[in-house]
Amino acid sequence: MRSLTLFAAYLSSIFTTAVADSNLSTPLSSHQILPDNFKPPEVFKNANLLRNINLEKGYVRETVNVVIENIDANEQDTYYIPFKAEAIGNVGGLEVKDKKDPEKPAFRSEVVEYDPYSPTQFYRVTLPVPLAPSAQQTLAISYHVLSALAPLPAAINQQDKQYLHYTFSTYWPSAYLTEKQKTKVKFSTADVPGFTAEPLREGKTFTYGPFEKTPAGVEQEASVRYESTRPVIHATLLERDIEISQWGGNLATEERYWLTNKGAHLSGHFSRVEWARTQHYNPPTSALRMLTLPLQVGSLNPYFTDDIGNVSTSRFRSNIREANLELKPRYPLFGGWNYSFKVGWDASLGGFLRKLKNGDGYVLRVPFLEGPKMSEGISYEKVDLRVILPEGAT
Amino acid sequence: MAVEVLEPFLKGDTGRNTRGLLRLIILCTIAAAAVASRLFSVILDPWFNFRATKYLVQNGFYSFWDWFDDREASHPVAQLVYEPRKPAEEPKRTRTWHPLGRVTGGTLYPGLMVTSGIIYHVLRFLSMPVDIRNICVLLAPGFSGLTAFASYLITSEMTTSPSAGLLAAIFMGITPGYISRSVAGSYDNEAIAIFLLVFTFFLWIKSVKNGSAMWGALTALFYGYMVSAWGGYVFITNLLPLHTFVLICMGRYSPRLYVSYSTWFALGTLASMQVPFVGFLPIRSSDHMSALGVFGLLQLVAFVEFIRQQVPNKQFQTLLRGLIFVVFVVSMGVLVLLTVSGVIAPWSGRFYSLWDTGYAKIHIPIIASVSEHQPTAWPAFFFDLNLMIWLFPAGVYMCFQQLKDEHVFVVIYAVLASYFAGVMVRLMLTLTPVVCIAAALAISSILDTYLVAENPIPKETQANGQATSDSIKSAADVIKDSLRSTRNPVLGIYSYVSKASVVGAVTTYLLLFVLHCTWVTSNAYSSPSVVLASKLPDGSQHIIDDYREAYYWLRQNTPDKAKIMSWWDYGYQIGGMADRPTLVDNNTWNNTHIATVGKAMSSREEVSYPILRQHDVDYVLVVFGGLLGYSGDDINKFLWMVRISEGIWPDEINERNYFTARGEYRVDDEATPTMRNSLMYKMSYYNYNALFPAGQAQDRVRGSKLPAEGPQLSTLEEAFTSENWIIRIYKVKDLDNVGRDHGSAVAFDKGNKKKKTAKRRGARVLRVE
Amino acid sequence: MPPKRASQISPNASVPPIPKAPSSATSSSSSKSSSAPTQTAQTAQTVLFDLWQRYLNTTPQRVKLIDVFMAFLVVVGGLQFVYCVLVGNYPFNAFLAGFGATVGQFVLTASLRIQTNPENKREFGSVSHERAFADFVLGSLILHFFCVNFIN
Repeated sequence: MRSLTLFAAYLSSIFTTAVADSNLSTPLSSHQILPDNFKPPEVFKNANLLRNINLEKGYVRETVNVVIENIDANEQDTYYIPFKAEAIGNVGGLEVKDKKDPEKPAFRSEVVEYDPYSPTQFYRVTLPVPLAPSAQQTLAISYHVLSALAPLPAAINQQDKQYLHYTFSTYWPSAYLTEKQKTKVKFSTADVPGFTAEPLREGKTFTYGPFEKTPAGVEQEASVRYESTRPVIHATLLERDIEISQWGGNLATEERYWLTNKGAHLSGHFSRVEWARTQHYNPPTSALRMLTLPLQVGSLNPYFTDDIGNVSTSRFRSNIREANLELKPRYPLFGGWNYSFKVGWDASLGGFLRKLKNGDGYVLRVPFLEGPKMSEGISYEKVDLRVILPEGAT
Repeated sequence: MAVEVLEPFLKGDTGRNTRGLLRLIILCTIAAAAVASRLFSVILDPWFNFRATKYLVQNGFYSFWDWFDDREASHPVAQLVYEPRKPAEEPKRTRTWHPLGRVTGGTLYPGLMVTSGIIYHVLRFLSMPVDIRNICVLLAPGFSGLTAFASYLITSEMTTSPSAGLLAAIFMGITPGYISRSVAGSYDNEAIAIFLLVFTFFLWIKSVKNGSAMWGALTALFYGYMVSAWGGYVFITNLLPLHTFVLICMGRYSPRLYVSYSTWFALGTLASMQVPFVGFLPIRSSDHMSALGVFGLLQLVAFVEFIRQQVPNKQFQTLLRGLIFVVFVVSMGVLVLLTVSGVIAPWSGRFYSLWDTGYAKIHIPIIASVSEHQPTAWPAFFFDLNLMIWLFPAGVYMCFQQLKDEHVFVVIYAVLASYFAGVMVRLMLTLTPVVCIAAALAISSILDTYLVAENPIPKETQANGQATSDSIKSAADVIKDSLRSTRNPVLGIYSYVSKASVVGAVTTYLLLFVLHCTWVTSNAYSSPSVVLASKLPDGSQHIIDDYREAYYWLRQNTPDKAKIMSWWDYGYQIGGMADRPTLVDNNTWNNTHIATVGKAMSSREEVSYPILRQHDVDYVLVVFGGLLGYSGDDINKFLWMVRISEGIWPDEINERNYFTARGEYRVDDEATPTMRNSLMYKMSYYNYNALFPAGQAQDRVRGSKLPAEGPQLSTLEEAFTSENWIIRIYKVKDLDNVGRDHGSAVAFDKGNKKKKTAKRRGARVLRVE
Repeated sequence: MPPKRASQISPNASVPPIPKAPSSATSSSSSKSSSAPTQTAQTAQTVLFDLWQRYLNTTPQRVKLIDVFMAFLVVVGGLQFVYCVLVGNYPFNAFLAGFGATVGQFVLTASLRIQTNPENKREFGSVSHERAFADFVLGSLILHFFCVNFIN
């Protein structure tokens, strides 16, 4: 067989997985070293800013819609977003788009570093078209914050409700002057027993502000403690192998998860009696009992094993429209418990591989992640993706 | 070996040529069938062996030898199963027999692990990277294919009818008695041992027949391999001398016998001493003395034979006879003397239990407590061997008819193995090969007899693929060389009717046998012991996987160095699947250590707790089948624990106290206080009441209603219970903060809610340390 | 145990090379003739002497060589055993290996001698002299491999 040229392009998921994107716990490697005592030039101002903090899942998702205005005399194309040094490692999936034109690809954004010891670190966003003086543009910035939620109390009984605690700033930390801003926090239930900084409560939503004329870098701390009786699923490591077998026309995927539940620990011990009793009416619980993996339609031969062999409690439903793999871990996963497992499946290669029009290369198009789809979300600390090309491919 | 098969093929004669080829193809088919029938389900079972193999593959042979299986182990066993590319956790260390630790290399039979290690490296060398796990899973089926081949060889030595060998091969390949120990994933010593057993016997027969030192040396080599693989090698060690002895007694001494036996003994004994676990046993223990005795006897006999050849002087011979007699008596005397004085270890306990089935129960409860060591139930013979069980005597009878040296061997083997199989379930395995051989001899004789004359091709034998070709070929064979010694052909057999009916009947039986084997394999033996499979009313399979659920919970959610105490049956599984140190496991030689665990389980909490603390136990694991009706649980094994610990602490533990006044073993209201206060009872039934409406708690194994008030635990707390309650894990509490004993601490906590119970629960005094 | 056992054999075994020797074809006829004198009640001494004489006369040189070797092995084995009894069996491994080697070698040599004995031709149809020697070499190799491995 003549050697193939395979361009393996890992396009991010065509599925809009409601899953936190991979977050590299260490800052991205493409650091731009900036001079010491760097401070973003005050060339922009935020004319209007609306910030949404979504606390419905096991991680925090923030969406910021901001109208920026160039107040400098020259064209500007570099916009900085500051984060606290201890938090920037937990920020993932930062994406900046043009609000007016969401179809366009996201702007280039990267972590920059000027002083590793500085308490503030920056993301730098490069606008594709420099902004003319006093022109305005609306940006849609979204990102996830991981490991920011802590159960409070840290240990609960098996039946108890679980409360999570989150601390944030009511002002969006910005490197520029903000004319007007408002922060909205969204919960999954209306049960929010503890909060600070007098928000406006409307059902499941809190609103802070509006605030006028906030200078750059000013913060006002606020915290909320809200009910979330569902597991806080966290994958400390996900290894994902995609193996292409040109010979068998097969695309084999194997994923190895190391899961942990970061929810509240059990204050006593696990009681099977209580667990069995509650199984009938299925109340909300902080334990993870099942994972659903939506696979690509046409996936075959799924398997679910762990270190000690096949796990018999899985179900695979496959038809023309969907292919769902339902996995039940060997035991319910309470706060602080771990579970590691391996799932894998095959698929016909035809749907993923496309021959280039010119030359003899191929393009592979596979989802970056196909993790479990859970209403409470799942966060990944580290994802290790490996594409195994056929022997002899260059 | 293959030369045997190929020989006719190379001779050039077309008839023989095709027959040889056909035979080779049939053998390959049989081997394939043997392998395939073992793949019904694949779950790796004996985890300890697997762990040891992984260790061997990773760290090489020499460090395996010195592998000290303890938490201080200097060679971490990395996770081969699925190793994180960048280890997410510290490499695990393995450890057993806390706090003693275990020099694994010296306390096991390494043959199995070394075999898979070699296969692994050979495959890698051939650039076929294979996971060691897959090798372990498929080793047993692979070797069963070889076993089928070996039984072909050995049967071919017995008779000139070529069909007998093929029949024996297929019998061996599919008989449930052997499949039970060699399904895919049952990675145990028996997996390779049976092949070695049969093959060693084949080599021995070959060697006796030819009187060749080479065959003798090969016998010794495979004997050495067998010694390194399975404790059952003692069977060979005694059977070969017995064969020799019987031959000598029958006046069948021949120089051939001298050559083969002496070579085997001299080389084989040295070979067996290479295995560290065996060491000096061959010259120290009585189990091996018969081989040595026969060796000496043979030297004498050889000497006498020579003298007799030279000096046909009657008086002189008498003199020699006397001399031999004296020497024999003196050596026996010395042997007895040495045994009594303790230089030679007396017969091992397991050996005694072979002769006196009641012996183990009284003296070594630890051996009797293993279900495999129980006497075999009658149905088991039929279940495992099916039609072969009634063909077996016929085959043995045919051996008597010819009674050459090799037939004597089969007869002795048959007699001994039948006896042993009756005594211990486990030894059924050694019976299986000889039954297959004898049955094949019988069947092939029938087929040969009835298909001798030219006939209307026995299409009847169609369905059983092998049988078809066998019979065709055997028929053809017999016509050509008519070497076969058949019984006097009865006149009637030349008619088609009699031929057809007999052949048809035999074929039907064979078909039934195949059906039976398939059924047994797919049902009875395909689910390994960690998984309980049951059928739901709708026919779908329901798998009860509690063991692995709990083991995996332990593996994931307990500290890496947590020590687990359980009855020893589960030691290997915990070590392998949960990867946690255990106090005792399936191979613990230290009876006291096991008895300690038994004592902790069968005593009151106040007595047990200090024991648990002393041994740094963090978790206690019990198996409880009451909810599901799973009878292999710890309450049913409990009496063995009591007996074993009673053997060491007769003052503290008394079996009688666990029985009611009427001598019944009960768990309900009538249970004795000793029983109800024992840790095992408490752990099994703790909180079990809560599952039922008040006063309705029911134990489905013992079929009894439990006391209305469940047991209370003060020094342990429930940590995990599996879905069907089969495994219950308890955490041993730390010492109380305020220095109270746990009883009063629990009483105090309760007292906050219910004042009155505090008073009742006060009786216990315990000082730890 | 084998030491003890062997010690009982060895007094005899020191004799065997002598009477065993005249096992060649020629000796069988000569033994017939010698049977006449021995028939009369004679002391064992004269019988032995007679045997010895005939052995010297009738045994081929090569077989004598083998016999010398066997006698040597018996002596070495005996010495080892005596040493073990007198001085103690401290490196028991080493003693066993050494003693095992001599016993094993003795047995193998005896086998070779039996197999090449023309009188036993009928018994060993399939074993030619060359084959017997090859077997002997193979057996010895295995034996010594084990011994060396065991001696450590």
